[in-house]
Amino acid sequence: MDSIAHPTQRQFNPYSDNGGTILAIAGADFTVIAGDTRQSEGYSIQTRYAPKVFPLTDRAVLAVNGFAADGNMFVKKVKQRLEWYRHAHSKDMPLRAIARLIQTMLYARRFFPFYVYNILGGIEEDGTGAVYSFDPVGSYEREACRAAGAAQSLVQPFLDNQIYFNNQQPAPGTSHPVHLPLPTILSIVIDSFTGATERHIEVGDGLEMYVVLAKGRGVQGLEDVRGVQELSVTEEGERIFVIRRDLKKD
Amino acid sequence: MSALEYNGGSVIAMVGKDCVAIASDLRLGTQALGISSNFQRVFPMTDRLYVGLPGLGTDVTTLYERFRYRVNMYTIKEEREINPETFAHMVSSTLYQHRFGPYFIEPVVAGLSKSPTGALKPFIAAMDLIGCINFAKDFVVAGTASSKLYGVAEGLWEPDLEPEDLFETISQTLLNAVDRDAFSGWGAVVHVITKDRVISRTLKARMD
Amino acid sequence: METSFALTGKGYVIVAADTTAARSIVKMKDDQDKIKELGSHLLMAYSGEPGPSNAYIIMPTQPTDPLLSFYSGDTIQFAEYVERNIRLYQIRHLYPLRPSAAASWIRRSLAVSLRSRNAFTVNLLIGGYDLADHKPTLYWIDYLGTVVEVPFAAHGYGSYFALSLLDRYHNPDATLEEGLATLKRCINEVSKRLVVSPDRYKVKVVDKDGVREVEL
Repeated sequence: MDSIAHPTQRQFNPYSDNGGTILAIAGADFTVIAGDTRQSEGYSIQTRYAPKVFPLTDRAVLAVNGFAADGNMFVKKVKQRLEWYRHAHSKDMPLRAIARLIQTMLYARRFFPFYVYNILGGIEEDGTGAVYSFDPVGSYEREACRAAGAAQSLVQPFLDNQIYFNNQQPAPGTSHPVHLPLPTILSIVIDSFTGATERHIEVGDGLEMYVVLAKGRGVQGLEDVRGVQELSVTEEGERIFVIRRDLKKD
Repeated sequence: MSALEYNGGSVIAMVGKDCVAIASDLRLGTQALGISSNFQRVFPMTDRLYVGLPGLGTDVTTLYERFRYRVNMYTIKEEREINPETFAHMVSSTLYQHRFGPYFIEPVVAGLSKSPTGALKPFIAAMDLIGCINFAKDFVVAGTASSKLYGVAEGLWEPDLEPEDLFETISQTLLNAVDRDAFSGWGAVVHVITKDRVISRTLKARMD
Repeated sequence: METSFALTGKGYVIVAADTTAARSIVKMKDDQDKIKELGSHLLMAYSGEPGPSNAYIIMPTQPTDPLLSFYSGDTIQFAEYVERNIRLYQIRHLYPLRPSAAASWIRRSLAVSLRSRNAFTVNLLIGGYDLADHKPTLYWIDYLGTVVEVPFAAHGYGSYFALSLLDRYHNPDATLEEGLATLKRCINEVSKRLVVSPDRYKVKVVDKDGVREVEL
């Protein structure tokens, strides 16, 4: 029998990792924001349909990945701040302002962070497609494309090659395109997730791709897409569409 | 700190139409400090058989010398070249002999194997550091950039590539994967093995 | 802290090593030659991991403690073992090992030692002039038995400063004077930026005429 009393240590870990992967690519006048729908903890699948991509306004879509509870709470809080902005200013917050808002909201929790990687995609006020990516404490950057989450290491180098044309030499007398057309980008997104599903156990089940089109752009590139569904109610401003796909199950 | 990641480096092998390719980066470092940009870790074993040895630098040399010796002895005793399948099992059993004090290497084998009819069939295989073999039909990867290599290869590879297209596919896969890995890169080397010759090329790469 | 550099040039290899012998925080000697002449055209700079600050406590009480391997006494032990075996080869065969063969033999000794109970903790730079193909060659070898042929190399804390300088200024076709000037840059940078920098170095050169010491 131990006669000396030992101090007992207790610990509570408030975080978890729920897997999954998100990805966004900006075009000249559109942006694609995508994420898989599997939610897991360790080797257990909690659900095969838990969205990680959320439309915020008619021109902004937010993808959140990491700890799902923090992610859902964070989206809720961002949506609340955007609603207050609408009541105060009678318009939607511009994309770059949403990006800065997210940075302040994340940094406000610098010492008890939301354990989430955010990717914000949409249309800028000048009509260009834009992607903003964040780390959990609010460091952010505008980019042309970004992958995050469990399969980031699988997808990002593929995107470097297919979007930025890294390590590719243009044919003599030509140059690489700065922006790719919508159907090409949709194919790259589907290929990225198919590859990630094949090799990563935390990625799979469903794929949700949100497409944000600039004002007056028209729907070129979406006509022949199977099962595309429009979320915006008016054709006046920017328009949001969602495309859903099953990810391979073998 | 893992011994498998101490020196850095990555290897990939792919199957094509009547050909195979194996490629590797050329970096050798001690953790974050780069030492050499010309460290070979892919070696020819016969005219149509190559082995890639990513992992701890000292074991790259030790195992290469060991396999060279054993392949030479096999060739002399059997009076014929070793088959890729046979060689893969030789590598595997060598590694398993050191089950509880392993060589820190995850080998990749690539070659053309001769069937009884005389036809040549592409063969690739990869192993973990204690010799568990993965006979893949498409591609195998190993080293510090393995997760990146899986991602890019899964997106770029397709069946029945001709030698020149296979060269482009494996080169693009390797270069883009190692550019996202701090422990791999600093140049690359690619070997495409076809039925009548081996095409070996050294690639320029980012030096950062 | 122990530091050594080496670089190749047009027909020569320069090998430099600091001359301090330290135990813990005490400098015991400042004129130790840590570059062995293994043959008429072969040089070896050797250095060990610095001893742990409590090495002197462990040593007298537990002479078989594995930490003994960190005692840099075994760098000298290993260097002499190499020196005598390379010499033995020359006596037996009436010709010396070529630099590449010597580097392979030394590497294997370290690789075998690594998986023994008391591994040598010795890092080496092997510089030689190959009389068969008339080429200067330099091998970087660490205590694990990792060997790689390089145009220039360094060991110890000095390597973190010297390698970037050598990346910038090394020229494989440089004359001996230019090579020594590049070496001086490395030494000066280490003196300037490294807290525990050595103040004296021994510099040796090997070329077609053999090995010799040079004054900087």
